[in-house]
Amino acid sequence: MEPAVAIRDLAKDHAGEKALRGISIDVPNPCLFGIIGADGAGKSTLMNILATLTDPDSGSVRELGRDAAREFASIREDIGYMPQRFSLYQDLSVEENLDFFADIFGISGKDKTDRMDHLLGFAGLKPFKGRRAGQLSGGMKQKLALACTLVHHPKLLLLDEPTVGVDPVARRDFWTMLKSLRAEGITLMVSTPYMDEAALCDSLVLLHEGGILAEGTPAQLLAAYPYRLYRVEAAPDAAVSTLNYPGDKPPPPGFVLIYPSGGTLHAAEAPGGEAPLAGEAPVAGGRTQGPSGDPVQRLRVAVPEAYSATLIQPSLEDCFFALLSGKMVMKPKSAPGALPAGTGS
Amino acid sequence: MISPARVRSIALKEMRHIFRDWQTLVVVLVMPVMMMFLYGYALNADAREIPVMIEMPSPAPETRAIADKIDASQMFAVTGIVYAAPDPAELFKLYGIKALFRFPPGFARDLRRPGGARVQVLIDGSDPNLGTLIRNGSEPMLLGATLQVLGVRQPQVLDLRTLVLYNPEQRSALFFVPGLMAIILLMISALLTSVAIAREKELGTMGQLLVSPLHPLEIIVGKIIPYVFLAALDGFLVLAVGRIAFGVRIAGNPWFLGLCSLVYIFTALSIGLLISTLVKRQQHAMFAALGATLMPTVILSGFIFPVTSMPIPLQIVSHIIPATYFLEIVRGIILKGVGLHELWTPLLILGGEGLVLMAVAIRKFKVKL
Repeated sequence: MEPAVAIRDLAKDHAGEKALRGISIDVPNPCLFGIIGADGAGKSTLMNILATLTDPDSGSVRELGRDAAREFASIREDIGYMPQRFSLYQDLSVEENLDFFADIFGISGKDKTDRMDHLLGFAGLKPFKGRRAGQLSGGMKQKLALACTLVHHPKLLLLDEPTVGVDPVARRDFWTMLKSLRAEGITLMVSTPYMDEAALCDSLVLLHEGGILAEGTPAQLLAAYPYRLYRVEAAPDAAVSTLNYPGDKPPPPGFVLIYPSGGTLHAAEAPGGEAPLAGEAPVAGGRTQGPSGDPVQRLRVAVPEAYSATLIQPSLEDCFFALLSGKMVMKPKSAPGALPAGTGS
Repeated sequence: MISPARVRSIALKEMRHIFRDWQTLVVVLVMPVMMMFLYGYALNADAREIPVMIEMPSPAPETRAIADKIDASQMFAVTGIVYAAPDPAELFKLYGIKALFRFPPGFARDLRRPGGARVQVLIDGSDPNLGTLIRNGSEPMLLGATLQVLGVRQPQVLDLRTLVLYNPEQRSALFFVPGLMAIILLMISALLTSVAIAREKELGTMGQLLVSPLHPLEIIVGKIIPYVFLAALDGFLVLAVGRIAFGVRIAGNPWFLGLCSLVYIFTALSIGLLISTLVKRQQHAMFAALGATLMPTVILSGFIFPVTSMPIPLQIVSHIIPATYFLEIVRGIILKGVGLHELWTPLLILGGEGLVLMAVAIRKFKVKL
């Protein structure tokens, strides 16, 4: 089956810099596809090209079986696009906004009433339908924007950073809505700078400086993590209970990466590194303390306050951190569905 | 291809924006009326009761009678009579007079001599308009007063009778009402359209509109329809205030004036549209629209300064800007009462300019960001 979106060697310069440097992505149909990356990684450039609002410098895009360069008018009828900023009319009410988008997509009569009713219910905005969009909370604005992009039954949804500036509870609600759309068979491409949202995607790419650093399902990414990862904590009765580690300080010997994470430190140790725990398989959650082979001892060289080190399962954030600092490499997939190949330090 | 329903929904949405943004709406409706009154009272070119003084070293009955006549005239008010003015500049400074009439000693005697008498008039030239007015007004007035005092009938050598047509009383209202029509219609149309489209770009909603089945022409037509009405309303306001407060009546056919105004509004909207295709921010649109419409219109259209007295390069510019032609049309209809037969040339040029500008604007309107 043809992928919903097939991107080949896509390149685009933006303001004299390479916003995208020849990337290729296949998005299966249906799929909740994440485009993860920091600001300036090229997410919005990619989204604008997919929305047929910007032409790439080179490369090709096929969406829903159609060529984006030639058949953009026909593609526009079947996609829903939600730009980066809230881009509805703040001075119109919730209902008027929806009504306007229904009108311009040529939905009228009973179809329109039904669709609007359904979408207001879906977005949980029925009690607020008379309220001006500008007076909604950040989360409700994004739900309204999503509802407006859904008005014409799009087959492909392009959401550019839909949860930026939205509180955590509303973010969770929003992702629940995305999941239910995915369950209806719609393909969604969602860009986000929040790494924790990556775990909610079926499949994702990590975009960095216009290139793809990693791609695959969350499980594939986690499986490719090459290190033993410890959570390092200070003594419970210590004066300063949160640990910090300067980004420019090299990690202690034997460790590849060490970085703060929620008041604790995460330390990645190379499996073949110094002082291996002979015959001892790392057990997640197993607390090691005391013996000289103990990672705490080795960590104390650099972090005197280290009290305990717990072996933990890496999260996607840990994967991304390793990828972004060049300590983990995933070769881009040659074909869709292939397993990520090649891991190393 | 162009769906009336979609155009209607864009126009409806735009109307909602207009009515929700009541501050702007108030400005749009109050500004023309305010400008009318400002121009009506500030731009009053009819000079009356200009303060002057008279220097009269040897008062004779004739000289006194002439001084009385000066004071009795509508133009001048004599604020004082002095016997000697060794330093006339002092008088101008101290008493704020605008002119000093100096009758030399023996003026009354000289009147009856063959060489005639002399009078010197000192004029304050710091306000050139007023200075010219005094210079042109004082000679015939003095001559008339003198002849009357002497009981001499003006010799019938040349009977010059000027008759001012179309604006017989030389009222400035008849001059600024057409000018304000031209300025306000242009400003409202160009400014509001360009800002309305730049706003969609600035908010990011333009992307949403483009990623929809909307044809660019539907966006353009839908967006400008409400502003046509708004501009027409303003035109009506100017005419109504002109009639009620300043007594300006339309000599010609009001329907023809309405039609010409619509052509002008169309041209002005095209300018606004063209500007909006070039800028991305509302502020830029605003400055560009004001710069492109207000200043050239006020200065170069012939509203204040006559086109024929401009240097050739400015005359060329003047013949490009639409307001010049609209001014010709409005003056023609309101003052002269002429119609299509006399005004088809400027109307054709105006409409042509509108079509060209609109075509360029539509071509430049990008379907991509």
